[in-house]
Amino acid sequence: MARNFRFYEKKRGNRSTGSKTVGRLGEALFFGALLGLGCGGLVLILVLLVIPEWRANHAFLEVPCVVLDKRLGRYEGGDGVRCRPEVRIQYDVAGKRHVIWTYDLRGAYSADEEAVQEVLAGFAPGQRRTCWYDPSDPSVAVLQREISWWFWLWLVVPACLLLIGGGGVVYTLCTWGKSAERRAAQARQVPGLDLLEALRGGERPFPFVPAEKEITDSPGTVLAFRLPAARSPAWSLGIWLAACLLWNAVVAPFAVIVVNGFLSGRPDWFMTVFLAPFLLIGIAFVVVFVRQLLVATGVGPTLVEVSELPLYPGHSYELFLSQTGRLRMNSLEVFLVCDEEATYRHGTNVRTETHRVYRHPLLRQEAFQVRRGVPFEARCPLEVPAGAMHSFRSDHNEVRWKIVVRGDVAGWPDYERSFPLLVYPPGNGESHG
Amino acid sequence: MSQPVGNPFSTRYTRPGAMAYRFPHGESADRLVERLRAGAWRGQIVGPHGSGKSTLLAAVLPAIESAGQRPLVVELHDGQRRLPADFQGTVEAAEAGIVVVDGYEQLAPWNRYRLRRLCRRRKLGLLVTTHRPAGLPDLICTEVAPELAWDLVEDLLAGLPPLLTPEQLRERLSLHRGNLREVFFDLYDLYELQKT
Amino acid sequence: MKEPFVRISFDGNGRTYRPGDTLSGQYRLESIAPDEIRSVEVSILWYSEGKGEEDMAVHQFRRLSAEEGDRIDPRQPGRFSTVLPNSPLSYRGVIVKVRWCVRVRVFLTRGREVKGELEFRLGDVRPARLALSS
Repeated sequence: MARNFRFYEKKRGNRSTGSKTVGRLGEALFFGALLGLGCGGLVLILVLLVIPEWRANHAFLEVPCVVLDKRLGRYEGGDGVRCRPEVRIQYDVAGKRHVIWTYDLRGAYSADEEAVQEVLAGFAPGQRRTCWYDPSDPSVAVLQREISWWFWLWLVVPACLLLIGGGGVVYTLCTWGKSAERRAAQARQVPGLDLLEALRGGERPFPFVPAEKEITDSPGTVLAFRLPAARSPAWSLGIWLAACLLWNAVVAPFAVIVVNGFLSGRPDWFMTVFLAPFLLIGIAFVVVFVRQLLVATGVGPTLVEVSELPLYPGHSYELFLSQTGRLRMNSLEVFLVCDEEATYRHGTNVRTETHRVYRHPLLRQEAFQVRRGVPFEARCPLEVPAGAMHSFRSDHNEVRWKIVVRGDVAGWPDYERSFPLLVYPPGNGESHG
Repeated sequence: MSQPVGNPFSTRYTRPGAMAYRFPHGESADRLVERLRAGAWRGQIVGPHGSGKSTLLAAVLPAIESAGQRPLVVELHDGQRRLPADFQGTVEAAEAGIVVVDGYEQLAPWNRYRLRRLCRRRKLGLLVTTHRPAGLPDLICTEVAPELAWDLVEDLLAGLPPLLTPEQLRERLSLHRGNLREVFFDLYDLYELQKT
Repeated sequence: MKEPFVRISFDGNGRTYRPGDTLSGQYRLESIAPDEIRSVEVSILWYSEGKGEEDMAVHQFRRLSAEEGDRIDPRQPGRFSTVLPNSPLSYRGVIVKVRWCVRVRVFLTRGREVKGELEFRLGDVRPARLALSS
């Protein structure tokens, strides 16, 4: 590999010079691994627990049996002796006699010997009882059938991994495809001639201006159009949660061993020193996740609506803002912003740079409270300056307009949310000034 | 090079192929090709980021073609760790005499081995650009000397007032560890700033 | 003999146009003998410039090929005309710029090539740095 895979991207100002596609590939692999783990875990739990339990409760057939004997099954493991009830029964199926040791389907051992003894006390040799046998294998039978609901909670773990991993893979693939159409440079045979490319844009009235449907998310409730958020915080949260869980799940057992070593007076200094950086990273993941969670849950959704879309330079519109949550705000600001973004294939990397060319404050509110159930709402005029460049997008270059909402919350992390806008070229006959 | 319209450090003026490669004293595209021929058409161009490897390749390819070898050029980018699909078929269809890989270090070790084996079996030459030596005969090591960087900047400015002194340029080159491409991006910003 | 070159001019000497305007003009092939010309390509296109990879799109493309029987007489000017689209407008941004031009490429015998280009402005978008930031 040309370079080590980096979890961070080197930044200078707004420039990111890490390899985007390597990053995306890493993302896809990370989520793919989670998806694999989730699928594998789910399959295992289904096969080993869920399906057998369901069959025992629904598919097994009832048959009378006789108790012949009973005993306390023992198992000596690293954490002590565990036991389970074992009962010897005799029953007949289709004229064939079966004699087996059994109790329930799982055959799980327990550390609670008293409870197990109590179970065994309910059985006595010679007793006539009812058992349930597996019609596909009559030599398997149980005396006890129950749905151990709490055990099925294990399904939650692989289900989570599956959801996070599957969602992440889908998200990565969807955005990967979009990013490649917009940014990927075509490989050129050297020397690079200025070969003319076919007409782009087709019959669209505004070539190389993003289509309206990409921006218009839904009709507004106060004004005509509600702007979609540039990125849902759920994805960010999901990613950080997954990273946090995975990393700390791996590091935690070793941390326990190290702590136990200290507590028992036999510290393992080598492992302590070796583990320290991993532990710090795990803590950092937790901190970042908690911070993101605070912002996402405490701040609440930010809604932005505009009176018209698309916008045109030199025209005035109206903007509506709604901020929910339970917040003590130091300030809330809304800006109209225009960014230029340029992507360049930089040797073996892809280099993307963003430059803000316009930023105009639309609204500023200071020192106020947002109460739960009572969102902060405000309206303000929105004017696109005359002579401004319209929204523009080509393979490697973009001019992007957006509304940026920035909140300074007392005692909590600041937040910033972006809402893309569409600015069209002025109509024929219009000019700036 | 044509007189730049607009910012002389725009990528259209600085990308590989837009600028002629400045060979060190005594070197030329033909000499490199001779060296390549002497090495059974196997060689490597080694150099750090932004040191002109791709630009040099653009300069050398015509000389390779003039020497009677038909190059098949593969550019590897963005963590691309394998060759294009059906590369073998492409090699046969192109009737290539030499395979040229820009960004050889991107390939996974196994794919590098497969490529070298393919070239050996089909008696094809192999010329690569790479950040680290890749086990092929050294053709040239690219690096950007401050004097060369200054010459290139002057060429790009093409008579416009200087943006910075040679010492300042040397500092930037050192800051970017010899990566001239990053220096050009810096100068782009500087030009825009000074223009206003 | 002088070096061959291409001279392009716009009708009315206009250089600034609006979307929907008709851009028309002519080009002259100078110091080029008729039997040297293999083909001529006339394009009206925009390209990006700045810190990103150069993007380009052709609004109108016309090719004349002597080999295919087109009559190319360098003594006579060639003409071009098109109705300009609504976008993208010419733009002088900071790291992204959009430029429109007419480009004439003449392919000569013995693998030679001559190119001429004349820029024009579509729309009147203000430069990014000057008036818009606040």
